[in-house]
Amino acid sequence: MMEKVNYLSPEWRDEIEKRLKEEISPEKMKFLTTSVVYIYKNCPDGNNRFLYFKIDDGSFSLIQVDTGDPPEAEFNVTGDYEVFSKITQGIMKSQRALMGGKLKLRGNMVKALKLASLADRMNKVFAQVPANY
Amino acid sequence: MVTSIKNQNDPYFIDFPGRLTQIQKAMAEENIDVYLGSRLRTLSWVTDAFCPWRSYIVIPSEGLPTAFTFVIDAARVADDSWLDEDHVLGFAPMGGQDQIDQIADFIKRLLKNGRGRVGIESGMSNYLPEGFLTHYEYEQYKAALSDSELVNAHTIIDKLALIKDKGTINRFREASRIVDVGHQAVYDAIIDGGYKGMTETEIAGIAALAMRRAGSEWEWSFTGGNEIACGYRTGLAGGACTPASRKEIKAGEPLMVDIHSMFKLGLGDHSHNYLISPATDSQWWHANNFLDIVSLTLKAYKAGTSPALLAEEMMDFAEEREFADYMVPGFEHGIGMMGDEWRIGLNDGPFPYWTNPDHIYQENEVLICAMQYACPDDNIGFRYENPIVIKKDCCEELSKYPLGIEEIK
Repeated sequence: MMEKVNYLSPEWRDEIEKRLKEEISPEKMKFLTTSVVYIYKNCPDGNNRFLYFKIDDGSFSLIQVDTGDPPEAEFNVTGDYEVFSKITQGIMKSQRALMGGKLKLRGNMVKALKLASLADRMNKVFAQVPANY
Repeated sequence: MVTSIKNQNDPYFIDFPGRLTQIQKAMAEENIDVYLGSRLRTLSWVTDAFCPWRSYIVIPSEGLPTAFTFVIDAARVADDSWLDEDHVLGFAPMGGQDQIDQIADFIKRLLKNGRGRVGIESGMSNYLPEGFLTHYEYEQYKAALSDSELVNAHTIIDKLALIKDKGTINRFREASRIVDVGHQAVYDAIIDGGYKGMTETEIAGIAALAMRRAGSEWEWSFTGGNEIACGYRTGLAGGACTPASRKEIKAGEPLMVDIHSMFKLGLGDHSHNYLISPATDSQWWHANNFLDIVSLTLKAYKAGTSPALLAEEMMDFAEEREFADYMVPGFEHGIGMMGDEWRIGLNDGPFPYWTNPDHIYQENEVLICAMQYACPDDNIGFRYENPIVIKKDCCEELSKYPLGIEEIK
């Protein structure tokens, strides 16, 4: 069994990249081209972080975790680290967090609705990675 | 209903990018950096799409506008509009996606350093779906755009929308043709005793079906769709009778049929009247009074006249013929693309947001000639409505259904 990695660490990033590529084919991603950045506020170390995905024709072409200014993305989701970590662990649903105002989405809502099921698929993959939150 | 037309040779073509350029020029003249439109008439005039849910349009100083509507309808609005899906966004009760957060954030990104002069639409109307910003919305936008100045700017759109272009007038022509089909269907249904057992609602439905078959998208009137009245309901003081009721059409009573169609946001609105046999001499006296004054009014409309001049002339005629007591003073109402059904001209009259009686009609203004005759004591009344285009020396009546009051056997 895989050892736990720290959430949002380089090891965690490598692991989700490996699993996303293995488990979610371009076909399952509907050959979509988009980008999304999750902005984590109030991380345990006091910093903000971002988790960025660039998807080209359904393939994950870039996954980045870092501090500092996040890259421009088609969708921008902002919230507290605590909220994102609960979503990743499957304790909270992302839609519930959005509807409750715990997450803020910037981007075309109509397109986002079409992508909601894809985001759920990605979250399920994240949830499988043993991690220290 | 796909309304947007990009082929310039299409009779219903409207130059929406041209409209946008005109708005942006007027914004520059008034030092407005971003225009936040919320009225239904503004949405129709700029997007070419029907926006039945609360909607907004954000017009930057340069480039394309972006419409915002309830998320469930955004894809449909984009499909109907000349704007693409990146310029029709949906709002929803989600973090960052509610209308205030999303639109304020969007506007800030359009403004230099997030601040500037933002034009809004504030005012009042007798027309319920007008869509001015509510007090709550205004307060919320004011707080969210605290570094900006919000200024009332709806006159920009009102001025530009006043004179109708060829494509708009053609849409009204087609909507009127459809209304005429509806009137013919009603006539065919009620003649030769066909009216017996019919109710006002059934007549409204007969007209609606015929008009839908002819291509109408909606019996658009917010007064209850097709407005039908019979008997005493035709003569209610003030002349309003809406909506159609379950009252049965009866022999010896008047019947008023005011029906509405919509064609690519152009509006049909025509009212025709009947006397169900046997008609009395008194009923015919009222009917002839009404026909004569409508006929005279239609001859009086032309560029250069005003609602006050026209009303004075017509009321003098009614006084002379001794039926002035039965005329509802006021012979027209404004009309434009869907959502514009209120004041004539600009908000420059003695009573804010009501028609200026001294408004001078200009060529290619479109209005509804709307006349109402009501005699509650005799349980009789009539209504005439017809969209007209103001011409240099006359007006063009868009509905061609012959003016008359028929006695239905």
